[in-house]
Amino acid sequence: MAGEMAAAGGRDGILRVVLRQQEWITLVVRLALAVILGMAGYAKFSEAEGLQKVAVSSYRILPQGMVAPVAFGLPVLEMALAALILLGFATRAMAISVGLLFVVFIAGIISVWARGLSIDCGCFGGGGLVAKGQTHYLREIFRDLGFFVLAAWLMVFPRGKLALDRWLGL
Amino acid sequence: MSKAARQRSARERLAEERKRQAQKQQRARRLMISLSGLVIVALAVVITVYFVNKKDPNAYTGALAPTTRQSDGAILAAKPGAKAPKLELFEDFQCPICHEFENSSGSTIKRLAAEGKVNVLYYPFWLFKQQTDPIRGNSQRAANAALCAPADKWIPYHDAIYKHQPAEGSKGFSNKDLIGWAKDLGFDTPQFEQCVNGNQKQSQIDSMTNYAEQARKVTGTPTVFLNGQSLDLNSTLLNAKNLEKAILAAPPAALSTSAPSTPPSTATSPSATPKK
Repeated sequence: MAGEMAAAGGRDGILRVVLRQQEWITLVVRLALAVILGMAGYAKFSEAEGLQKVAVSSYRILPQGMVAPVAFGLPVLEMALAALILLGFATRAMAISVGLLFVVFIAGIISVWARGLSIDCGCFGGGGLVAKGQTHYLREIFRDLGFFVLAAWLMVFPRGKLALDRWLGL
Repeated sequence: MSKAARQRSARERLAEERKRQAQKQQRARRLMISLSGLVIVALAVVITVYFVNKKDPNAYTGALAPTTRQSDGAILAAKPGAKAPKLELFEDFQCPICHEFENSSGSTIKRLAAEGKVNVLYYPFWLFKQQTDPIRGNSQRAANAALCAPADKWIPYHDAIYKHQPAEGSKGFSNKDLIGWAKDLGFDTPQFEQCVNGNQKQSQIDSMTNYAEQARKVTGTPTVFLNGQSLDLNSTLLNAKNLEKAILAAPPAALSTSAPSTPPSTATSPSATPKK
């Protein structure tokens, strides 16, 4: 049926199909975002504490005293957001949080780039200084922009299939 | 208005009122769920940070193994006569991960060396020679001062230098500070000051750097060899428990494979000559 309509209505038809399937799409987006965030968080979480701190301090943005809390807190933040998004609990609030997080990440990378530092973003673990010419800032920014789009979809369409929100009557 | 009309409008009002009530409830529910979601996430983060941060690595305060300077400038920390595996540390004082390595595993290494369970060779060198200032100069001054220090003060001085490691990109390790920390440790002498201010150990730094990069193929720091085997940073170097396990499992090794076969100098003065 979906195919029929798309063929019949052109662009409007596709839009209508997308909207009709919106709750399924939201489910898929939730799964994707949860996997991405969960992986990013776990990769950092499972690293040695020293490496986590170096990844954060290499941005040279936070004062010394804030490096450790952020280094230890960020992986858990990502994993907790991933878990709740997977469950579909408070989807819109979680999506907004994730969106803000990606805005912060993108701003951080731009700031590092603008100051001429050579680091790895440490987005999926790792991080720290790299040799000049070994940086991938543009790629990292576009990747985060892509993730931001997923979060934005959930902000606009938080209502989806197989969500705890539905079960709780939202 | 007729009676019937009045009744109907009352019914409508009632229905509207009910609808409004339901919407209000729905809004309250949505708010509750959103808030509890945010609270769950915040709690998870705060609890983790609190517990991980509290887990303070208890610094080793026990006796230290005697330290002596090898002919090539490396510093040996070993219990006399200990038949133990050999741990070789290649470090740059400006390297942030070396600092983390020191924080997470320094105590374990000191303890095992004092107990005669490992013989440690420290190779401070100038990894950041190719970098731009201030990283380059920081690294050079620290290495020079460390080589100027008498061998028996190596460990406390080494710790003091790391403790004051400047943030990457800012200037630090000034000669004045390097001398000040020596003063704090009670070994500041005119010779030491001359050695620091005159960058007198440059040739030794160069030969040490050459040795690290050419002979041992060290490309980054910290690089640590246990009986000649390079140890993994994430799983072993920054994980004191695993490092201890690896050291205790390693067989004893002869001490003089890297340095030319001169016996370790027992002098505590900074009198070593460059290897080349």
